[in-house]
Amino acid sequence: MELLTLLIVLLLSLGAGLLVQWLPMRHQPIATYPQRAPFLGGGTPDSHAWSRYHVRYYPMTLLLIAFEMEMMFMYPWAVVFVEKGMMAVMEMGMFLAILSVGIVYAWREGVFKWQ
Amino acid sequence: MAVNWLRKLASHKRAPVFPVLGKQGDKALRYLALSPEIELVDSPRHASVLLIAGEVPADRLEPLRRVHDQLPDPFTTLWFRNEPWPHLENVDRIDDLTDLPAALTKAHRELMTGQRDSGCRILSDRPPNPWKGEGDFGQGGEGMMGGVPYGRPMAMNMQDDISDGLTLDSLTFRLGPFFMAFPPGMAAEVTLQGDLVQSWETQLEPYPQRLDAVFFNARKHPVPIAEIELARARHHLQRLYHALHLAGLEALSLSSLRLAYGLSTSSTLDGLRRRLVRSGFFHLAAVGGGVLNTEQARQFGGPAARAAGLADDLRSHDAGYRRLGFSPVCQDGGGVSARWKQILDEVEQSLMLARQAERDEVYTNDVDCIETPRGPWDEQPPEDASAILDEVLPGLEWGDALATIASLDIAAVADGGGGTQSPGESRAVPGGSGNVVK
Amino acid sequence: MLLSELILPVLMVMFMLTVGAYVVAVLDRLIAGAFGAPQAGRVWLAPMARGAWLMTQHANATEAPDWQAWRLAPALYLALAAIGLAVVPWSESLVATDLVTSVVLWGSVEALATVVIFLHGWSANALLALIGGYRYVALGLSYILISMFVLIGVALPAESLQFTQVVASQEALWNVIRQPLGLPLFLIVGLGMTFWGPLNLADSKDLAGGTASEISGPPRLVWDVARAAMLVAFSGVAASAFLGGWMGPWLPGPLWVAIKMLAVLLVLLLLGRVLPRIAPERCVTLMWVVLLPLSFIDLVWAGIGALL
Repeated sequence: MELLTLLIVLLLSLGAGLLVQWLPMRHQPIATYPQRAPFLGGGTPDSHAWSRYHVRYYPMTLLLIAFEMEMMFMYPWAVVFVEKGMMAVMEMGMFLAILSVGIVYAWREGVFKWQ
Repeated sequence: MAVNWLRKLASHKRAPVFPVLGKQGDKALRYLALSPEIELVDSPRHASVLLIAGEVPADRLEPLRRVHDQLPDPFTTLWFRNEPWPHLENVDRIDDLTDLPAALTKAHRELMTGQRDSGCRILSDRPPNPWKGEGDFGQGGEGMMGGVPYGRPMAMNMQDDISDGLTLDSLTFRLGPFFMAFPPGMAAEVTLQGDLVQSWETQLEPYPQRLDAVFFNARKHPVPIAEIELARARHHLQRLYHALHLAGLEALSLSSLRLAYGLSTSSTLDGLRRRLVRSGFFHLAAVGGGVLNTEQARQFGGPAARAAGLADDLRSHDAGYRRLGFSPVCQDGGGVSARWKQILDEVEQSLMLARQAERDEVYTNDVDCIETPRGPWDEQPPEDASAILDEVLPGLEWGDALATIASLDIAAVADGGGGTQSPGESRAVPGGSGNVVK
Repeated sequence: MLLSELILPVLMVMFMLTVGAYVVAVLDRLIAGAFGAPQAGRVWLAPMARGAWLMTQHANATEAPDWQAWRLAPALYLALAAIGLAVVPWSESLVATDLVTSVVLWGSVEALATVVIFLHGWSANALLALIGGYRYVALGLSYILISMFVLIGVALPAESLQFTQVVASQEALWNVIRQPLGLPLFLIVGLGMTFWGPLNLADSKDLAGGTASEISGPPRLVWDVARAAMLVAFSGVAASAFLGGWMGPWLPGPLWVAIKMLAVLLVLLLLGRVLPRIAPERCVTLMWVVLLPLSFIDLVWAGIGALL
């Protein structure tokens, strides 16, 4: 039942967002080409903006994926933590320590420079 | 009917204005920044009134037409100290700075309530390249990535990245004269790969700046040091306003501007400086990079050179200043944060000199060479320095590049009489919150 | 049953969205005025006037955008804010959706927010918007880890991923005192999620408005409302996870939640005014090298605290 409520909330807010955008725009004429040019302070671009953009933080995303996998483990771990006691602390501590070595390595390799 | 009620409510909004700066336009910009009825916006899409402040030279008219057409309907224009284009109907020309906020508010209100029609488009409704029906699928493209799909080519300019050697697409574009982070009038052709600047070529130099009249008078006859030092401090504080506004410290930028407007020998920089340091401007904001080496710093002159460690200041040759015990302040480093620390130190030094000079009634001695806030004025006034940007900016990330431009006083000093406004006008403060300097 | 379990919660969320967005706009204007921005006119009317003006302005277009994504992005951001609000507990029994895994749902809202903001910047096919979108993703990927560790730390004493249980576990002592590192780190996450103030890498001034530089009219209105609504949703989650939710003497539960949400909102809006925009490189380095280890410490602290 709650998931149904959630779905309705999602659909309703999405619909409201789209409706507010669409309703006033129904009868508006399409903008002229000069209006549609990208704003560059009066300048002109050479090409479309879509390109093979040089994403400088790509190595950071690899580090992120490692941590994401750990996060997936931590969700059920949090629920059974108090039951398991000290053993749970130590296990997760080891996991975190190993991944922290990854962060230090990435930092020394300059992964966070120029993103 | 509902639309009428909506528009009536919309007319109560603060007028959203996109300022296009012509010559001497930045005075209007600073005046409006302190005005409560006006909201200055960064993009023409967010505005309903286009303010053309000051005379726009002929080589910047085509970008002006482009920006004019980029405002969405309904929009209108207002011309400040500039003659409106003849084919525009129902647009006003304002010459008095104090009338400007009211005129802008009136323009917005009339536009909303329907008394004034929306402006018409100037440029013809044609795509940058004809594409309809051409090419392999009717969208203008040829082959995999060629042709002009939807009117423009795809980005294919492949050069090795200057920082890590990857070969991805570079985006080349001209960033025009009316970009808010640039000095007024400057245009550059930039090549970016990602958000790193690969190459920078200044195409239009910023408008020469008109310094305060006292600097021109100082080249003819001795002037009171108090007056010239206050003018210097005011110039630096106005530049600080632009940099803080860019960095997102809105409240501090307005404090700096108010301090500049109400500057007198009893003003103090301590409060502003303390708040600036505490906000983390020197550590968090984009203040890394932008380092000038010694040769570039020497070529630049002025506070930028002193921030790089060169203790050159024409004021140290002046007997009047020597009487006050003047010695140039320097930083080492030559980067953006060093330059801002230098500016703050120079403002404090100027205020101190002004206080002393007013008490002792000291005048300047030399009339041949004076130190302007932009740099030394020996035989020639300080020149435009946009060529240095072409060397310094490549390799910097976008935010760092713009912060570097904001920290350098690039524009040349206009050789000529001091300003076109009446003497009382530069002291006018909107909202009536400043003191008037004698 | 249909009324109380379906219609009432939905109405509650919608009401909080609109009222919350308006309150954020008014508060922001008040704080700006307190910091010295020139003010004119009535503060409570200004957001309505701005909304009305945006409704009457024409929606801008670019030369070749991805139309569906461009128009969807603000609406999706609004929907994410609504989902986030739906898991905030107003009292023991008054929750829009009392999922067993509401912490996980909030985590997914945060992750999808990065996607939506990037989509908004990318789909316009304009340079400054594109840079804003890509720049934001670096920040988005960094804050999500901090947020997760901090929220797991909050879930440990509750032995559950359900927000009502998390609040119930704070009966003895609020998490803001029990786990002191948690709330400051979580506030930074909140600034990142709504790219507010110092972490405004997506819609910043040096990109002439960034992802918002090409939008005007109703899409811009929905984008701004969605941003404010996300702030409200975030403050609701922060109030539940750290400030004890509905717990407090004398006043009814929902009122306490509203007061705590207001407090968190005030802190966020203040931080937005006081700090400069952080350079993207510095931001990412800070988050991975300083804040992430701090969140590890917070987690270990929370773990030890839960066992004792």
